[in-house]
Amino acid sequence: MTRDLYLAFFVVLFGATGTYLLLPHSHGARKPRNVHAVGAGLSTFGLLLYSLFWTAPGPWVSGLFFYAFGFGAIAAAVLTVTSRDPTHSALWFAAVVLSTAGLFLLAGAQFLAVGTVIVYAGAIIVTFLFVIMLAQMEGRAPYDRAARMPFRATCTCFVLFLGILWSLFHMVPAPSAGIGNSAFSQILPLTNDLAASATGSNKADARMVVDRALRPTALLSDSKKRLKPHVAGLGETLYTDHLVTVELAGALLFMALIGALSIATPRAPVRPGQIPGSNP
Amino acid sequence: MEVFTVQILKSYLLIGAALMMIGMIGFLARRNLIVMFLSAEMMLQGVALTLVGFGKYYGNWHGQVFTIVILTVAACEASIALALILILYNRRSSLDVTLWQEIREPGQPASEDDLTAEAEAAVVEEGPETYPHLVPAGAEPAHPRDSWTVRRI
Repeated sequence: MTRDLYLAFFVVLFGATGTYLLLPHSHGARKPRNVHAVGAGLSTFGLLLYSLFWTAPGPWVSGLFFYAFGFGAIAAAVLTVTSRDPTHSALWFAAVVLSTAGLFLLAGAQFLAVGTVIVYAGAIIVTFLFVIMLAQMEGRAPYDRAARMPFRATCTCFVLFLGILWSLFHMVPAPSAGIGNSAFSQILPLTNDLAASATGSNKADARMVVDRALRPTALLSDSKKRLKPHVAGLGETLYTDHLVTVELAGALLFMALIGALSIATPRAPVRPGQIPGSNP
Repeated sequence: MEVFTVQILKSYLLIGAALMMIGMIGFLARRNLIVMFLSAEMMLQGVALTLVGFGKYYGNWHGQVFTIVILTVAACEASIALALILILYNRRSSLDVTLWQEIREPGQPASEDDLTAEAEAAVVEEGPETYPHLVPAGAEPAHPRDSWTVRRI
């Protein structure tokens, strides 16, 4: 535990220094090339130290892919934030999304991996169009070459990061450790004990809570501990346990459509000498 | 069937926390509106990784369903944010977020970063091609010099 905390402290130190050196200067002064090199080296070293905390989900191939996607996600995230050219930022963000999709795949979320790639590919193409339309290429603009209080931003975020690491090191595993995918047979006795231990009028409530939390449609595996087919299981739980959520998501998309239309509709410009709102 | 242990869950949480933190740095420190938007999307990615890890660890679908909700919210956010960026650009001809400081509530002190500090201009390398200088011919028509024809930085 103490060793982990020391290691986390060094990760935060190297990462913060490297990220600060890579960010644009606050007054937009040009940073020499070797400052960038030192920043990149420190960030990479911090990332390597950080990977000592990770555990791959399997041997060989899945472990290799896990480390590749993890490194790719974090390194591309740093480059998204620090690159001067907004087109480069958009491309590195695409790398972040692809790495995250790979991590989803390794956690057994195939549908989400594909969905993330499809949704974010569209979003990134639209962002790219915006960059090409509006931004100035090659980081020529002053606001691309200058950052806003980079030192304080880096310090704030890395202190928050240290706090998150601290709380993760004190994480207590669930009572039935390693429940994995075969959750049904191991959680159920625990929660049944919980329901049985409640007394009096609480008993019916506790029973209802347990039944609602552990409906058989909400579990990854069926009662014989076999994994359900992926998309069929996800669709089953979406349209039985989370039907209202699906309806709300549809309503939210519709409202966003109306909002974006009403925001972005072009209005006629007001000419000098003309009272706003009156017809010419 | 391999077991998704608490160590693997912890590594997913660590990567999600790092993505969230880096996105927050970008949102706080960058001045380009489009890069700020990308940083916010990156924070959502970190949260999605955390949710998928928890869902796998507890052996149910709830984490993936929450991630689908996050995807929906991200799509809505993208549409509205890009519409806002479009009209903000139309008003100021710039993607700089520090130009919009007066929409804070009144009485707030101005931000400490000096907006007058001009960034060092990028080096424009002269190409080998040359353009002819045209001599203006005739009388210039009486028109006001429209400001919208000049692209401001």
